[in-house]
Amino acid sequence: MAGEENSEFYLRYYVGHKGKFGHEFLEFEFRPDGKLRYANNSNYKNDTMIRKEVFLTPAVLKECRRIIAESEIMKEDDNNWPEPDRVGRQELEIVMGNEHISFTTSKIGSLVDVQSSNDPEGLRIFYYLVQLSFCLFDLVSVLQ
Amino acid sequence: MASADVEAVDFEPEDDDLMDEDGGVDVEAASPRASQPKLKSAITGGGGGGGGTTSSLSAPKKTKGRGFRDETDAERNNRFAAKDFDSLDSDGGPGPQRSIEGWIILVTGVHEEAQEDDLQNAFGEFGEVKNLHLNLDRRTGFVKGYALIEYERFEEAQAAISTMNGVELLTQTITVDWAFSNGPFKRRNIRRRSPRGHRSRSPRRRY
Repeated sequence: MAGEENSEFYLRYYVGHKGKFGHEFLEFEFRPDGKLRYANNSNYKNDTMIRKEVFLTPAVLKECRRIIAESEIMKEDDNNWPEPDRVGRQELEIVMGNEHISFTTSKIGSLVDVQSSNDPEGLRIFYYLVQLSFCLFDLVSVLQ
Repeated sequence: MASADVEAVDFEPEDDDLMDEDGGVDVEAASPRASQPKLKSAITGGGGGGGGTTSSLSAPKKTKGRGFRDETDAERNNRFAAKDFDSLDSDGGPGPQRSIEGWIILVTGVHEEAQEDDLQNAFGEFGEVKNLHLNLDRRTGFVKGYALIEYERFEEAQAAISTMNGVELLTQTITVDWAFSNGPFKRRNIRRRSPRGHRSRSPRRRY
């Protein structure tokens, strides 16, 4: 595990759909150098894209790595997850150690969606990890 | 271009070298598709504004997921491509960064059964805690292990870090540090222009 500490880390999460108000989405990424970027777009009421960025300390990145590693998301596979559809699309891309995942799936409304999928175990990990990413992402809301 | 699918599975170590630092920009500009396996995100190519940030991965990765196969989202490239990100005023140097309202510190190693009061008591000593985030693991209901604490003044946050880092709280040793910094940090294993000899051999390309 000691080797994990200095290894590369990148995380990107995207959720969005295309509809009446254009391409509405939210995306954020944690980059290896500590930069956290966030973009949020909707054309609702002529809203324009919000983009923010901030640099995180190595301490924050380290905690992110710990949480990802603990979640064991890197062991999962999106093969049996619901395909993105008209309702929406989620993407989770993580680089950690010598592994690089890029998962896509539909939007998940609740745990019922998780339970009724073909891979409830794996999708549950994704579901909770995304929720947790949002917690870390609270960091950005603090900036607004 | 046509080999994007193949590239998503494997890529030459030589390609990887080209991706280093400034070299990466040229490669990506010339052939954005070829850079996809590095990182799918468009941020990688467009976001050179971070003061010498590396956009490349330093070693071939084991890839997994549909994201490497169905690359249809062309406008992905617009999402992060723009340069005009709002950011906190920063001089770009090292050191902590103030947020809009105050100074935020990160506490890790927090006991899973910790309560907000425990942190409030321990960290209220250094000044008024303006904000306290103690996130739970939604699955287990226990504390995830970290807390974010905001003070109004730099001195308060600095005192909290100096005093509380490495201290035992609820039987666990906690780590306390700044959450935000003024600029990118250098990774310890910074890559050289000629990494050969320092890196283990990459696996041979499979066909």
